[in-house]
Amino acid sequence: MPSHADLDRQIEHLMECKPLPEAEVKTLCDQARAILVEEWNVQPVKCPVTVCGDIHGQFYDLIELFRIGGNAPDTNYLFMGDYVDRGYYSVETVTLLVALKVRYRDRITILRGNHESRQITQVYGFYDECLRKYGNANVWKYFTDLFDYLPLTALIESQIFCLHGGLSPSLDTLDNIRALDRIQEIPHEGPMCDLLWSDPDDRCGWGISPRGAGYTFGQDIATQFNHTNGLTLISRAHQLVMEGYNWCQDKNVVTVFSAPNYCYRCGNMAAILEIGENMDQNFLQFDPAPRQIEPDNTRKTPDYFL
Amino acid sequence: MAVEVDDNDLKAAGAELLTEGRRGIRIHGWEVHSRNCSILTSSTLELWEEKLQTSHLPEMIFGDSCLVLKHIKSGTKIHFNAFDALLGWKQEALPPVEVPAAEKWKFRSKPSQQVILDYDYTFTTPYRGSETIEINATKHEREGVSEGTYNLQWEDCKEKIDVATLAPKEPILFYDEVILYEDELADNGVSLLTVKVRVMPSSWFLLLRFWLRVDGVLMRIRDTRMHCIFGDNANPTILRESCWRESTFQSLSAKGYPSDSAAYSDPSTISERLPIVMHKSEVLKVPGNF
Repeated sequence: MPSHADLDRQIEHLMECKPLPEAEVKTLCDQARAILVEEWNVQPVKCPVTVCGDIHGQFYDLIELFRIGGNAPDTNYLFMGDYVDRGYYSVETVTLLVALKVRYRDRITILRGNHESRQITQVYGFYDECLRKYGNANVWKYFTDLFDYLPLTALIESQIFCLHGGLSPSLDTLDNIRALDRIQEIPHEGPMCDLLWSDPDDRCGWGISPRGAGYTFGQDIATQFNHTNGLTLISRAHQLVMEGYNWCQDKNVVTVFSAPNYCYRCGNMAAILEIGENMDQNFLQFDPAPRQIEPDNTRKTPDYFL
Repeated sequence: MAVEVDDNDLKAAGAELLTEGRRGIRIHGWEVHSRNCSILTSSTLELWEEKLQTSHLPEMIFGDSCLVLKHIKSGTKIHFNAFDALLGWKQEALPPVEVPAAEKWKFRSKPSQQVILDYDYTFTTPYRGSETIEINATKHEREGVSEGTYNLQWEDCKEKIDVATLAPKEPILFYDEVILYEDELADNGVSLLTVKVRVMPSSWFLLLRFWLRVDGVLMRIRDTRMHCIFGDNANPTILRESCWRESTFQSLSAKGYPSDSAAYSDPSTISERLPIVMHKSEVLKVPGNF
């Protein structure tokens, strides 16, 4: 195992939004895999913990999140996936979170989002960013291989169930989820896919998206799931909400989204959910980091369009 | 985002930028104004859901963003906003487009109580802009015209927008791009409605573009361009050209073009590859006084 000094140096380097050399990324991913393979599909988490939604490569906003919520490891964190794609700094963002996981394995939990996938990252930015920053796809391969090991869900003190997307008609109980073989690329259909992709909806029952793929679940489904499993709340991410968080389905479900001004143009707030020592809930909303040095607004350059 | 414009260029063109925090320009009897705002709040979104009678709207609606081109003397106003565009989407109500993964889902055992949602999740809209005539309250209203606004009369024509006059030989005095709505189709592609405008000393020109890519399935571009050459300031003429294009990934690949979605991130570079499914030119003679 690497010395803490090495990791501390890497974390300090990453906190300045500087990518690690390719060889160090490889070592880091190897270390992380050894830790994640030991974790459960329903990873138990203790309170207090701060629950976070999508980050999407918005590195400086992640730093702002730590400023608002407290630095790791002083604050325990549970991230519900979607670290990469869309934003400008997927590489730095995911490397930092993985480094924190390796350094403080019991104080930070990182779940899998639907973007932690080989296929999605090739379309929505992470793959291209790796090519641009490293000149080859090795780093992309190290990370996407690692993503297969990320836990799918987490359970805070047997009460709050956390995951990226939502419920699945094939999974009535937490034990059903525990029985899944998760170490694989996210399939196009099936229970593992549902956990990372499905959305709550106003309609009761299960809905199939007009795309012909993807479930929605109604309030009746969420209520039943919480009842069956002795849960008080399903906390999930996956959908943009203007206020950063959004209660729905009679407070059986909450959506948390932690990328402020998503894609550098939505103007939305971000939020994180603090679960206190007595399981008390407190939402913290925040705006984008004050500095924005992204190569922003490329769309806005006057051009002689036709 | 602020664009540096040469004061001398403005002066020479007899134009002035809008002030008091409004983005835009006054030129040759026109006021061109744009506004870029945040996406709708959850409470406004609920209002829109009620008004549009749907619970499925694009995830990013820039509901307060707009582009307005107003002919000051006649009160003729051409404007672009998300609400009217979504009204068009509701009315057109195209049938759903299945994504490639749908094939695999068909073999999956279905839970009871399941409903198949059937709205057009691509948010395809026939929207080509909104128009109103604001009648000055202090003037007498014309007989038979209800209070407020009414539609303008576009007439079909053979003319096409003269691209040569739009070549980069003039300075751009004002430019903006306004996103009206956008949806990531749950990571199955993109649906995006934007309008871009540029104002030069001799004309204004705009492009309203609906761009849709359903990964692995189809692409759709619905462009509307408007061009107004400054000349007769009292009775200007606007030329409007709409061009709709559409193609499946399958037919593109049959023509030897790449079929991976990553090759189709920028509609402006690939639009020529998509066959035209609708084209029409119209002209509007902006009425003088009311």
